[in-house]
Amino acid sequence: MNTKVKASNKELFDEVINAGLCTLCGACSGGCPYLVPYKGRIVLLDNCILPEGQCYQYCPRTYTDMDAISRQVFGLPYSGHELGITRGVLMARSTDARVKERAQYGGTVTTLLSLALAEGLIDSAILSRMSDNKTPEAYQARNTEEVLQCAGSNYMACPVLKVLNYIPKHSEDRLAIVTTPCQGLALAKMKNNPPQNRVDMSNVKLVIGLFCTWALSPDEFREFLKENLDLPQVIKFDIPPPPANRFDAYTRSGEVLFPLDQIREFIMPACSHCLDMTSEFSDISVGSVEGLEGWNTVIVRTKVGAELMEIAKAKEKLETDTLLPQNLAHLKEAALLKKKRALGQIIERSGDKRNLLYLGLSESIVNKLLG
Amino acid sequence: MSSIEIDAPGESVLLMGNEAIARGALEGGIGFAASYPGTPASEIMDSLAPIAKKIGIYAEWSVNEMVALEAAAGASMGGIRAIASMKQDGVNVVADFLSNIAQIGIGRGGLVLVTGDDPGALSSGREKDMRTIAKWYDIPMLEPANIQEAKDMTKYLFELSEELGLLCMLRGVTRICHGRGNVKLGELPKMERKAYFDDAHDTRDPKPTRYVPFPPALRYAELEKKFKKARELVESSPFNWYEGPDRADLVIITSGGGYLYAKEAVKVLKMEDRVGILKVGTVWPIPEKLVEKHLNKAQKVLAIEEVSPFLEERAMELAGNLPPTAPHPIFYGRRSGHINTWGELNPDAAIQALSRIMGLTYQPRDIEYDKKVEASKSYVPKRPVTLCPGCPHRASLWAMKKALKLDGRNGFVTGDIGCYFTGFNASGFFQIRTGHCMGGGIGVANGLGKLGQFGFNQPVLAACGDSTFFHAAIPGLINGAWNQSNFVFVVLDNSATAMTGFQPHPGSGMNAMGEPTKVVSMEALCRSLGLRVKICDPFDLENATATLLKMINDKDGGVRVVIMRRECELIRARREKPPYKVYIDPDKCIGEACGCNRFCNMAFNCQALTWDKKADRAKIDDVICAGCGLCANICPQGAIIREAA
Amino acid sequence: MTVKKSMKDPLNVIIAGVGGQGNIVISSLIGAALVKKGYFVVVGETYGASQRGGAVVSHVRISKETQYGPLIPDGCADIILGMEPAETLRALGQFGNPNVLTIVNPRPIYPLSVLSGEGEYPDISNLVETIKELSDKTWVINATEEAQKLGNPMFANVLLIGALIALGMLPLDKKSLEPVLEERFPKAFEANMGAFKRGAELAGQIR
Repeated sequence: MNTKVKASNKELFDEVINAGLCTLCGACSGGCPYLVPYKGRIVLLDNCILPEGQCYQYCPRTYTDMDAISRQVFGLPYSGHELGITRGVLMARSTDARVKERAQYGGTVTTLLSLALAEGLIDSAILSRMSDNKTPEAYQARNTEEVLQCAGSNYMACPVLKVLNYIPKHSEDRLAIVTTPCQGLALAKMKNNPPQNRVDMSNVKLVIGLFCTWALSPDEFREFLKENLDLPQVIKFDIPPPPANRFDAYTRSGEVLFPLDQIREFIMPACSHCLDMTSEFSDISVGSVEGLEGWNTVIVRTKVGAELMEIAKAKEKLETDTLLPQNLAHLKEAALLKKKRALGQIIERSGDKRNLLYLGLSESIVNKLLG
Repeated sequence: MSSIEIDAPGESVLLMGNEAIARGALEGGIGFAASYPGTPASEIMDSLAPIAKKIGIYAEWSVNEMVALEAAAGASMGGIRAIASMKQDGVNVVADFLSNIAQIGIGRGGLVLVTGDDPGALSSGREKDMRTIAKWYDIPMLEPANIQEAKDMTKYLFELSEELGLLCMLRGVTRICHGRGNVKLGELPKMERKAYFDDAHDTRDPKPTRYVPFPPALRYAELEKKFKKARELVESSPFNWYEGPDRADLVIITSGGGYLYAKEAVKVLKMEDRVGILKVGTVWPIPEKLVEKHLNKAQKVLAIEEVSPFLEERAMELAGNLPPTAPHPIFYGRRSGHINTWGELNPDAAIQALSRIMGLTYQPRDIEYDKKVEASKSYVPKRPVTLCPGCPHRASLWAMKKALKLDGRNGFVTGDIGCYFTGFNASGFFQIRTGHCMGGGIGVANGLGKLGQFGFNQPVLAACGDSTFFHAAIPGLINGAWNQSNFVFVVLDNSATAMTGFQPHPGSGMNAMGEPTKVVSMEALCRSLGLRVKICDPFDLENATATLLKMINDKDGGVRVVIMRRECELIRARREKPPYKVYIDPDKCIGEACGCNRFCNMAFNCQALTWDKKADRAKIDDVICAGCGLCANICPQGAIIREAA
Repeated sequence: MTVKKSMKDPLNVIIAGVGGQGNIVISSLIGAALVKKGYFVVVGETYGASQRGGAVVSHVRISKETQYGPLIPDGCADIILGMEPAETLRALGQFGNPNVLTIVNPRPIYPLSVLSGEGEYPDISNLVETIKELSDKTWVINATEEAQKLGNPMFANVLLIGALIALGMLPLDKKSLEPVLEERFPKAFEANMGAFKRGAELAGQIR
């Protein structure tokens, strides 16, 4: 098992990027002129000869001591629970019609961010946005209008964290970040060992994580979309719950449906090595509710998250309800399945149960997960 | 008033070798001069062109050396004395025409070809000895041993050329061409010249016309006759002489730059009474009788000459012919390892060789001093050649590097001759991977671009300068269009033949004599071949990179042209002040920490962008900085600030 | 320092600098003035590629008797005029000897090999000390700085000529330089004479 915590971009390429483990989270780029995300991969533009770098340190696919990270975020060791550490699980949706119109499901993320901005808890939010020609791009939104423009899933990987890396040391901007599970892990690693020469990590006030089974390649999948759709006409994408087995594109001139199997070939290879379906290292995690349109499943994990939810409820920005037991059970099942599959994939690749590539997990947890 | 036009016979002036050659051509009565820039010969035309109109001659920068020599030959056919000058590589370019005209002979006007050889390849890819070409093509050639001879020989060559009816050559080397020395001026002839192509044709004459190679056997017989005459003439030439004791223990045979080094070696070692010097000025044909005379008397012969053992081997050939009873000297030189087989000569090479052969030790300075020097060597860093601060090629090469890296298929750049060729090293980010000769870059790309059927998929960029474009790239361009090869032709157009001194070219709108003239548009030329052309300002890095990427990934393939157009910084700086004031914001610069690691210094490689070790910050050297502001684009922290000046 | 009554023959002067600094301006001005005074002068230089930021060395050889070859033999320099400190030391290494007189402009120009991290540029005071150790006498003249005060760093060339002549190292005086400077800089003659005088002043101030 690789246990190096510090190494250079050479190891980053050897162990992660050229090893098919890169999730394009963006943690290595933005602040570094040597590395740049381009068309679905990280490109090395010049040779950095530093023996140790932040690129390797913050990458969620280099050695990660999951206990240490869990203690950093929650004060508790890594449990291996299907949904990670939770304070509560519920359903929620926006009360704002305008938000609901644009939202993928319940519009919870958009609502929480608008609220945080309005309450003066944050100055801006870093998240991904789809351009008019449906390229995912990292974006820093400063008001509700801008947040609203970012609503809607594009299912493609987006190196959102690179925006964080541009923020200078002296900036007093308080930030919210919307992350996928890998990005959440990278953020947690950054908080665990903050950079001294750029963004002050204590200014990251709110992390909203998204549920994620896998992400699609922003290069190849986008090419596929371009070939098969008139992209500026597309309003929204959606993957309806099983047994639909489809990828749907809603355009101004009607729906175009693709068999999900056709789309699967564009899944980033790194995703099959990921154990986290519900963004376990966030303040609040948000996803869909299977079988119930227009609602979000919300997992509250931290005090910060709980407080924000309370304000949202008090100000009637969000309507909430209990998550049905079968939905919760199904969610846990799906999350556990992702963990098992990923572990299996990792062990098959390393050939040794004790070598989990990038994961620092105790043997007992591994055995528990493998059942 | 330029030194070379001074009408004051007998006056002594300090002239550069090339200026002396130009002056010699004027004293020799030329009416026509043509050239292509090339180090070390460029200054011959650089000194003739500005005064050409005033003194009533015609001088041109031709599109390449081939046309320059052909044009000069044309002038000779019109009865006008003409000179063509070029660097050693240019003589390779003219080899086809040269070999033919050498045998066919010239017109009524004397025709002289000057070659600037480059021992040690200080400004070339390889050192070459054009005396070998003179022998190969049967061309009479003189080689000056000092600046005065550079003038006197050039003048004389016009006489010789007309007497023999042959093209004649002058061989200069860098130290003669670029060296400066006292020259006593001669007279400037006041000439009336009437040009006329006189080829009165006698139908009974088996030679159908004068200027064709037919019939070859007859032509060759004529050439032999002329050379027999040349051999007689050189025996009494004032440019060959022997100095030293009548019976010498060792005779140094030398020509050109080697002569003064040999003389100094003899003086330094105090061997004037034991060592004689046979100085040969007529290096082809050599004065055989004179050489034999001294071979007969010498026990040892040391050849000191630039680049190749030319005289050494000629002397050995002659010695082989000596009667068996005559003493045969031992030969020393490049073949024996006493003179370095590669690299420029200098007085120490001569001193070392002579002292070794004669069994002396030579110690120019005491050993203690040598030890101190050894100890100090670590203090002297290497100083590689770079692109000038403000050079647009830096921007072009940066854009090419980024585009190729983003593309990710291990694409590369084939290179050509010019300032941008520095792109093979750190200054140009190691982008240029091949480099041979003028036009070689696009030529090589033609071949690589047809390897698709063998699985080749690496993007090929062929880089080429604007002057090189007109000189040699056009055939490659047409070939690529016609045979549909796949590559991107990147023309780095800085509006000048910069490397050799900013001479004009067909795209400049001006000729050598400073007259405005037609602009030959390279983009129009490319478009006339049906090729896609994009023109970019390399200083707009984002657009330049995006354009390159787009062209690289153009699905229609074939030859695509990107012209990176921005004026050479050194030319711009003569006219205007720097556009920006550039400085570092010490609060934003994060020093050597991760996220930077001195990116500006280590990756960008501009001499003006330095490092202040004590402050751990980048620093702009305001004396060297050209104020182009390009570096402001590259700092990830935005610490490089540029303000409009 | 006293002017030597009879000049060493040949007198060998090395001008060492970096491409773009204007070595050639110095050698051609001095050369032209000396020829006018009836000396045999030969100057050896390298152009072309080496001008672009590489090391440039000019050899100037002065004689009353005859024309010498354009390169000075190793270890035989009499005077070294260094426009850049590392290049001065490089020149001393090759052409220096215990009797050489050295003028050095201590402003460094960093080579790319140093900027890219391949090598180190030595500490300036160490560099100057080493130069002093390898010379009979050394004059440190901040030519670039002083030239900038006069309005243009390129005045450093003429400034150093002023120092060279004021120190009596060459068989030339101010008068012999004037016509040469006027011919070379018709529009900036006064300014260049100012630089020349400043160089002489600075040389005079050094004990």
